[in-house]
Amino acid sequence: MTKSKIANVLKYVFLFVAAMISIFPLVWMFISATNTSGDVLGGRLLPGTNLLVNFRALTARADIGQALWNSLRNALVATVASLVVCSIAGYGFEVYHDRGKDFLMRVLLLSMMIPFAAIMIPLFMMVGQLNLLSTTTAFVLPTVSTAFLIFLFRQSARYFPRDIIESSRLDGLSELGIFLRMYIPVMRSTYATAGIITFMAAWNNYLWPLIIMQSEESRTMPLLLSNLVAGYVTDYGLLMLAISISVLPTIVIFLLLQRSFAEGIVLSVK
Amino acid sequence: MAKTLNNLKLKSRQSIIGWAFVIPAALLIFIFYFYPIGRALFLSFQTGIGANMQFAGLANYRRLLSDNLFKTSLTNVLTFLALQVPIMLTLALALAYLLNDKTLKFRGFFRTALFLPCATSLVSYSLIFRSMFALDGFVNALLTNLNLITSPINWLANPWTAKLVIVLALTWRWTGYNMIFYLAALQNIDASIFEAAVIDGAGAAARFFRIVVPMLRPIILLTAIVSTNGTLQLFDETFNITNGGPANATISISQYIYRLSFQYSPRFSYAAAISFVVFILVAFLAMIQMRVGDQR
Amino acid sequence: MRRSQVKVLLCVLMLSLLTSSAAFANQTVTVWAWDPAFNLYAMEEAAKIYAEINPDVTINIVETPWDDIQTRLTTAVMAGQTGTLPDIMLIQDNALMKNVIDFPHVFADLTDSGIDFSQFADFKVSLTSVDGRNYAVPFDNGAAINALRVDVLHEAGYELEDFKDITWSEYIEMGKDILAKTGKPLHSIVAESPDLIMAGLQSAGTWMFDENGDVFIANNDVLKEVIEVYVELVNTGIMVQVNDWEQYITSFNRGTVAGTINGCWIIGSIVLPEEQKGLWGVTNMPRLERSPNATNYSSQGGSSWTVRADSPNKDAAIDFLAHTFAGSVELYETILPSSGALATYLPAGDSAAYSIPHEFFGGQAIYAEITDYASRVPQVKYGVYNYEARDAIGVAIAQVLAGRDIDSALMEAEETVRFLMEF
Repeated sequence: MTKSKIANVLKYVFLFVAAMISIFPLVWMFISATNTSGDVLGGRLLPGTNLLVNFRALTARADIGQALWNSLRNALVATVASLVVCSIAGYGFEVYHDRGKDFLMRVLLLSMMIPFAAIMIPLFMMVGQLNLLSTTTAFVLPTVSTAFLIFLFRQSARYFPRDIIESSRLDGLSELGIFLRMYIPVMRSTYATAGIITFMAAWNNYLWPLIIMQSEESRTMPLLLSNLVAGYVTDYGLLMLAISISVLPTIVIFLLLQRSFAEGIVLSVK
Repeated sequence: MAKTLNNLKLKSRQSIIGWAFVIPAALLIFIFYFYPIGRALFLSFQTGIGANMQFAGLANYRRLLSDNLFKTSLTNVLTFLALQVPIMLTLALALAYLLNDKTLKFRGFFRTALFLPCATSLVSYSLIFRSMFALDGFVNALLTNLNLITSPINWLANPWTAKLVIVLALTWRWTGYNMIFYLAALQNIDASIFEAAVIDGAGAAARFFRIVVPMLRPIILLTAIVSTNGTLQLFDETFNITNGGPANATISISQYIYRLSFQYSPRFSYAAAISFVVFILVAFLAMIQMRVGDQR
Repeated sequence: MRRSQVKVLLCVLMLSLLTSSAAFANQTVTVWAWDPAFNLYAMEEAAKIYAEINPDVTINIVETPWDDIQTRLTTAVMAGQTGTLPDIMLIQDNALMKNVIDFPHVFADLTDSGIDFSQFADFKVSLTSVDGRNYAVPFDNGAAINALRVDVLHEAGYELEDFKDITWSEYIEMGKDILAKTGKPLHSIVAESPDLIMAGLQSAGTWMFDENGDVFIANNDVLKEVIEVYVELVNTGIMVQVNDWEQYITSFNRGTVAGTINGCWIIGSIVLPEEQKGLWGVTNMPRLERSPNATNYSSQGGSSWTVRADSPNKDAAIDFLAHTFAGSVELYETILPSSGALATYLPAGDSAAYSIPHEFFGGQAIYAEITDYASRVPQVKYGVYNYEARDAIGVAIAQVLAGRDIDSALMEAEETVRFLMEF
């Protein structure tokens, strides 16, 4: 009894320490957004009074509203499109698996093993020839279908009980109907995970928007952030405020979607 | 007889529907990945800059054999892979297992806190890592106060400690990321299986190894392939924390490719050749992982 | 916002001057540059000046960091789509020759454009020309300065004058004394950053490549001397190594070191802490002793304006630069006080604006001083493989500090660069 109590305490201590180490840089970043440049570099750990000054300097310096909207629009479109295309493919690869589809899956997996730098010039040429420079379409197209997401849905479909598929077929549901009405609700936590990581990847994407977003009006948040550190003198208070703003959407999305981890799902496998 | 025929028809009908499900995604990957990869492969057999390209056969690949920086960067990323991926995935599994306990207090807080590192901006976290591991930084102060070291260690100036800092940084950033895949998968495991094990009298450790790990195998396979790939294509951490130093002790292959493409006199065809060697290496490792892990 | 203001201004001017005839009707010249306190600001002021000369041309300024300009430039050229590039690009001097030689026909040859290049500092013209042809209008001044905390020097019994026109051994001698008396090292440096080595090389008119563009590292006695000085600076504790740029800035902003040696643009960071006002002074950098052409002058950083050769607005872009950065003393007078943007356009140096005392530097007329330095900086050619060589030297420094002998470290560096040059 005492032994398990000690183990329990140790568990909380371990989780607490891990959580503290995990959030320290983020907390420091938020605190730094309220400090002056000199205090940020001096490693000040307490909140300051410079938040308003930093905010005014930032909004005078850059059109942060435009960049946020561009990033948000690009990332949301990319995320929704990816989830639709990749989840149905991952489901298809697992539920209807045969030698041909298994082989195709392995071939597709290879696509994630090439560094982006190696394919960005041909991609840039394609987008340029299609006259899509500086558009959301250009941003989204190469990221809609990713082997990683397809593979995630394929692996997760393995947890989807076959009995449900069989009984749904007997109930007269079409194959697409089974996917839409049975698979999607049951796999909520997988969708949440996929949504978070896809949104985050699209939100933080740097190299691709850098070369295709030619007009100043189409700049995304990461591009705006890189402007802030390019001069001879960097204002770190302003910078920390800008990056604090830039990570907020990801955190909000995570907080919204993470509830699906908490609820747990009871499958009716009867 | 008629029934089997019907069954066969049904099977092939289902197979066709299955193809319809997978083909849009596959087509997009062929257009936006394999076509450019083909162009890059073609490029890797040439030399020159811009419009002045000549066919060079395997010259770029032969060059790799005598390229010391390539060998150094390859050794570096393989070292990171061997040290970091097992530590990170084990830690992520353990954390997911702890957090999947419905009786655990503050679950939401722990889950969010552990996930946040991968959402934290690279700029702020590399700033913090560099200053924490400075000669007069937090880590040296802590270790000195605990009497673990007598004089401060110059972490980023020594090849092995610099590698260690990179491993720590990677683990810090990506453990929570991998954890949420495990958490999502654990949600899909029927709770009754755990309950049965508890009634069985299996201890926590036994449940972990006998139930959780085997049940999570499909997702462990996924994270192993993704982390292997991520480590071999490592760029952010070494570029921002150590810039490849000291004396190239932490330079990664992707950073070398970046230098060859955008900092040095551009050598895209050679960079493409390096990319393909990485590609073959990762594909080989992934194949082994699929063999071991992808059984239905 | 900034851009739209310029646009509005231009529109107003256009309307009021509709009757005037101009050579370039309704053209828009797009510019990429990256520092709002510096080159972007200068560009905006230039646009204002040009609006009065030629209101039919709109100057469209787009903020783009240097690394991103290089990435986009390389991508566009490799993809054969140079039309996606702007009409004017600001290019770092140390990458200029590489881009001009590797990407022929992308940059306009400005030699016969009517711009008088003899009016710019010689070292700058040398950096922006290839085979005797000019490819960029020189812009900012990176003349090396030795900025020192005069109060710290006084505490140890020294004057700023004691650091003028000195050798590195004199610098080290005084540095040891100051360290002993005040506990402060003289300056700091980002570990493995070869900037100081590069400045040392240029101060003796040498580079890592010879006149023919061949690697000149292994048997380069100047380079060897610079590295010896570097090692001694580290070993004596006169120069402290820090992990990154932020720690470097902090070291003098917080007063943990007594000064810094860098390109004069570092002044923008020196003047940040209000409480250090009046405590600083500027002098030239120490010189080498064994090297025959050693001077107390060098350059570190700096950039120049290039024009895209296949742009339909090429002539308008050149005309714009000729009337502003290569022809308007007024422009340089306007931008100096608020940005500290020091010109390499020599006629501007005679302007009264350059001799005003700078309060942060105890009333010293630092701009006139630095403009004088700039005129004495030895000429070198950075070459096509400058970045390759820089990185190799950075590795060599780390090896030498870890105990390797200089000769073999330089031998390896030379082999590395040679390997990267052979294709």
